[in-house]
Amino acid sequence: MGLAELATDREVVQAVLAGDVEQYAVLVRRYRDRFARYAARMLGSVDAAEDAVQDALVRAFDQLAQCREPDKFAGWLFLILRNRCFAERRRRAREGRPLNAQDDAVAAPDRTDGRVEQRERSGALEQALQKLTAEQREVFVLKHMDGMAYEEIAAMTGATVASLKMRMHRAYDRLRELLKGHL
Amino acid sequence: MTETYHPLVKRLLDGELSLNDLPTELRAEGAEALRLLGVVDRAPVSLPARLDARVMAEVRRRAYSPLRRAWRRLVDPRDVELRLRVRPWVVVGGALAAAAALALLVARPAAPPAGGRAVLMASRDSVYVRFILYAPDARQVSVAGTFNRWDRDAAPLVRQGATGIWTTTVALPVGQHQYAFVVDGARWVADPAAPGIDDGFGRRNSVVAVTAQGARTL
Repeated sequence: MGLAELATDREVVQAVLAGDVEQYAVLVRRYRDRFARYAARMLGSVDAAEDAVQDALVRAFDQLAQCREPDKFAGWLFLILRNRCFAERRRRAREGRPLNAQDDAVAAPDRTDGRVEQRERSGALEQALQKLTAEQREVFVLKHMDGMAYEEIAAMTGATVASLKMRMHRAYDRLRELLKGHL
Repeated sequence: MTETYHPLVKRLLDGELSLNDLPTELRAEGAEALRLLGVVDRAPVSLPARLDARVMAEVRRRAYSPLRRAWRRLVDPRDVELRLRVRPWVVVGGALAAAAALALLVARPAAPPAGGRAVLMASRDSVYVRFILYAPDARQVSVAGTFNRWDRDAAPLVRQGATGIWTTTVALPVGQHQYAFVVDGARWVADPAAPGIDDGFGRRNSVVAVTAQGARTL
């Protein structure tokens, strides 16, 4: 690990803004995978997640001078990625190209443990998640896949804990309806 | 009709209750709900290594493009060193003239500040922008923006007695600058007297445009 890897986000951001563009690679390495699962679950495939994370990182570089709190670069980058994921879902809906099983490199992981039933259930859950609203899906992904508390999600997204719970509880009911016969 | 989970079962799914906390008649529904979470795939997702190279290639392309460099030259603040060769009597005369001008300025009644609006003044070589915020309860106020890389410590405002008015004057290079006030080191406040623009991330920035002839809020 080089010295640059030990630098704080603030130090790296300030170095990039001062003209040391190559330092941006530190932030790329630091955050490329952190939000990959979020993007993959929101968009339904690793390929789509790769595009989204790449776009978000490039856009963050473009807007770096507007990053008010470099110590909170991760949260700021997450908001950019989140906007990108929501926009992508809206674009696909407009084009009549909703997320589906064919997109789903992550939707039905190819398990080798022989638990066919488990795999089928997991695939059915992923299919059902695609039918939730983007907001419902997001809160489910962050809470039950990334293991975050409501308070943490609220801090990241700007929503209140009460509204997050409401979205989640509606998502539970919708998932129950969609997964009838699978559970 | 849609079959919904009982509110206690939803709290079970939220992790606020355990299965044993549920009344007996709800345990079957609770067990079914937990099977839903049991199939959630929590495996990490790794993106291919090529992502780093692609991002950095794009970053370099943008950073070194002539257009971007021209824009950065226009909007980035920079230090300017001014070297003068003068005769001593010119300095003395200049100082006397400046003192006279200052005395005239101080003798004029002060105009009341217009809320939080940025008051704009120009000098010969640079444009000074005066930032004003009415914040009677604040313990400290600063102004941060694109001109000081959003450094909340770079430009503190000074409280004007017990009026609740905070002011500072900052020399800004020609160009358009986004800014906001930082109250008590943590709370970001858009200039109430200047129209703001969305920063793209759900917050508002105020905007000031600086030209060689002066400056104005947008």
